[in-house]
Amino acid sequence: MEEKRSNSAGGVGGMALFALIGFVGALVVGWGIFPKMLYSQKTQPIRFSHTVHSQLGIECEQCHHLGPDGRFAGLPSTESCAECHGEETGDTSANGKEIDKFVKDYVKTGRQVPWLVYQYQPDNVFFSHAAHKGFECTKCHLDVAKTDTPPPYYENRLSGYSKDTMKMWECERCHASMGTSNACFVCHK
Amino acid sequence: MGLDRRAFLGLVAGGTVGAMFTPIPWKLIDDASIWTQNWPWIPRVPKGQVDYVATTSKLCPAGEGLKIMRVAGNPILAGGNASHPLSCGGVSALARSEVYMLYSPARIKSPMKRNGKTFAPITWEQALVEMAEKLGAAKGAVASISGDNTGTINEVLTALTAKLGSAGSFMMPSEATTAAKAMKLMGVQGQAGYDFENADMVLVLGADIFETWGTSSRNRKAFGANRPAGAKPANTYVYVGPTRNNTAAVCDQWVPAAAADLGVVALGIAWHLLKAGATSNAPGFDTFKAVVNGGFGPEDVKRATGIAPETLATIAKALASAKAPLVVTGSPFGQGLGAAPVIAGMSLNMLLGRINKPGGVSMLPELPSVVPGALTRAAMLDGDLPAFLKGVESGKTPAPKALLIYDANPAYGLPEAATMAKALEKIPFKVSFSSFMDETAALCDLVLPNSLPLERYDDVATPYGSGFCVYSLVRPIQKPICDTKTTGDVLLGLARKLSIDLKFDNFQQVIKEKVASLTKVSGGFVAKDVMPWQVAAGKPAPALVGGDLWKALEAGYAWTMVGQAAQPAMGFAAEVLAKAVKAGKPATATVLAPYAQLRTGTPVTGMPCQDLTMVPDTELKGDTTFIRVNSETAKALSLKKGQSVKLSGAGVDCQAKVHIFESVMPGMVAAPLGFGHTAFDYYSQGKGANYLSLAAVAEEPGSGLSMWIAPEVKIA
Repeated sequence: MEEKRSNSAGGVGGMALFALIGFVGALVVGWGIFPKMLYSQKTQPIRFSHTVHSQLGIECEQCHHLGPDGRFAGLPSTESCAECHGEETGDTSANGKEIDKFVKDYVKTGRQVPWLVYQYQPDNVFFSHAAHKGFECTKCHLDVAKTDTPPPYYENRLSGYSKDTMKMWECERCHASMGTSNACFVCHK
Repeated sequence: MGLDRRAFLGLVAGGTVGAMFTPIPWKLIDDASIWTQNWPWIPRVPKGQVDYVATTSKLCPAGEGLKIMRVAGNPILAGGNASHPLSCGGVSALARSEVYMLYSPARIKSPMKRNGKTFAPITWEQALVEMAEKLGAAKGAVASISGDNTGTINEVLTALTAKLGSAGSFMMPSEATTAAKAMKLMGVQGQAGYDFENADMVLVLGADIFETWGTSSRNRKAFGANRPAGAKPANTYVYVGPTRNNTAAVCDQWVPAAAADLGVVALGIAWHLLKAGATSNAPGFDTFKAVVNGGFGPEDVKRATGIAPETLATIAKALASAKAPLVVTGSPFGQGLGAAPVIAGMSLNMLLGRINKPGGVSMLPELPSVVPGALTRAAMLDGDLPAFLKGVESGKTPAPKALLIYDANPAYGLPEAATMAKALEKIPFKVSFSSFMDETAALCDLVLPNSLPLERYDDVATPYGSGFCVYSLVRPIQKPICDTKTTGDVLLGLARKLSIDLKFDNFQQVIKEKVASLTKVSGGFVAKDVMPWQVAAGKPAPALVGGDLWKALEAGYAWTMVGQAAQPAMGFAAEVLAKAVKAGKPATATVLAPYAQLRTGTPVTGMPCQDLTMVPDTELKGDTTFIRVNSETAKALSLKKGQSVKLSGAGVDCQAKVHIFESVMPGMVAAPLGFGHTAFDYYSQGKGANYLSLAAVAEEPGSGLSMWIAPEVKIA
């Protein structure tokens, strides 16, 4: 009878201790390990240096501009890039090798570079850049303008979307704060 | 202190509670829900550089200029071209399908040769050899049919047919064939062009001008431009016809009248105009006046049509007091009208002094021909295909030994379809150049698929109804998806094989020569900053810089010219009216009032698959189409809503269900065209009935033209 009481008292303490260990362990896994497991890290097919291009005086809008219908023209085509990088340079520097890789793999083969876009929205979202052109690009996008190497691209292993794809609640919160309608048809046609 | 049962439970409980304070459960649920929306078989929106290229719709008879949106070089969407005078940014359901149709299941994927009841694929070389051999043997008895009213391909086709020994080169019947016959009988040359943009009062006799008649996209834009939202309309439109169709629905007034009575209505209005003092110096005016006064007084017209005298008097007064009145006549379903109603409608324009005036009618000249030995468009339109095929079927006309069929589907798109199919069966060697496996292609010996308009060079020259001469370019914006070729190239290759000189090696050369010939036409200009209707209204036409024309056409602009061909005075052709138009007693039988819509395609395209979703279930439900009658007719015929019925006419039976619809005039049975295909694909085949097959062809007194405007039907 005595031993049973003793076990019971020690058991409650031990149970609490293990509960605490479980609690802390879950926090460590949930905040530290899980995010790394959920996303795979990818690098861009070409190490494009925004810094080098901006130092040459190329304006952002020369490559990223709105189309005639207000659609964001997004990424420049291989043909656009080939206007400057049409031939291999033979340069052995890191940048030179990257340019030659681009020319060999894409310009010569006529393929488009499969850039990993950090914030593509799902197909069922109609997003107009024209309607948002009053905002700074970096309000929504990663600030890549001063990067020499593009930041890693994190792809959600389950959903397949980029980690940086804006969630619907983020769109709704901004719309609400700006007094813009959050009706379904505003974004889903 | 070991991990006993309680400790384990504590660890699990703690871990579970802890996990609730991390993203694990919430993020997994969220991502799993997104994962379920991204099955691999769901089509993806293509990503890539977006651009727009200009071309012209060839599938749609309205000939709109198009802007094709491409993503990474792949065509995605067809939209209207705001810079093109036949589009002004507008586009029809059919023109919009130009992109979708590239992937239509009904596309013929390679040349094919009949093998018993089926077809076997062959190579293009084999096809050319076979065709050269059979056509060489058929010399002197080769006929051709074209369904393309506007293309220079007709020059290649008719020149080749002529060199092979023509048994006839025909155009599929349409509004253009009827109007051409009427103009010929009135003694004029050229194609009647209607200036809607500058008209302030438009009387529409039957023609479904906002759907199937002529340049329908441009007609809609012209209508809308003078009727801005919220402002007083600057024009008035009155529609006369058997149903409140898509045109009548937006007009200021609908006057119900049977399609067979359009000529009577026109001459009834002429009676009021003559009474008010209208006169003309044109040949035949006195006879015309005698014909009108002799049989088309208000009571005559009321007895024949049921239209109250004051209705026509009001319309006549409105026409006479308008600054720029215009009368347009056509078939409510785009075909089958006799020449006499068109002559009667044109007589109103003559009485009103509207010939070759801004907001009136001009006789547009044909553009220069470039292929030696080709038939002119007028000569092609002069042929009467239904009469020819009926003659072949009955044995009165010798059957040609070979038939070349381009962009046409006579086995489906003509009245008395069964008779026409029998006539085709009598022709021993038939070649179809259709892009799709249509009813006629299914009867042919060789099927040589034409590339679709987005895959080939082609052109559109002055579609019927345009108020001005217009020429625009169709150009390839992608390589052919299937093993198809431009028919122009195939015909020129065939000519070479048969040692026939047609002057050109390929069809692009023909088009380039055509464009070059336009630079020599006096008064032509590129519609860019100045539109042709502005020139018609008095604005100076800009000069044409010849060397830039090809580039301008490639950029989506159109070459245009305003004004009519020099010619003798237009006559009233009153002797034709006297024979063909009678204000008799109203028909006692039930009359079919077919209606056509671009969303159900043409006989050549079948039903564009994406457009099937736009067909309401009051028109097609399951595999049954609906006829429309108003409640008065339904009561007289003891018909109930949703009732299954059988329509009989011309020896053919068609099934239908009944839809009660008050926008159909009493005694009429409105029936949709474009259904009842036995060929094409899942989206067209077996969907309802082809009500055109109920129409019997009759010869119009006075003109001799085949007509089938108001077929009588029995309903059981």
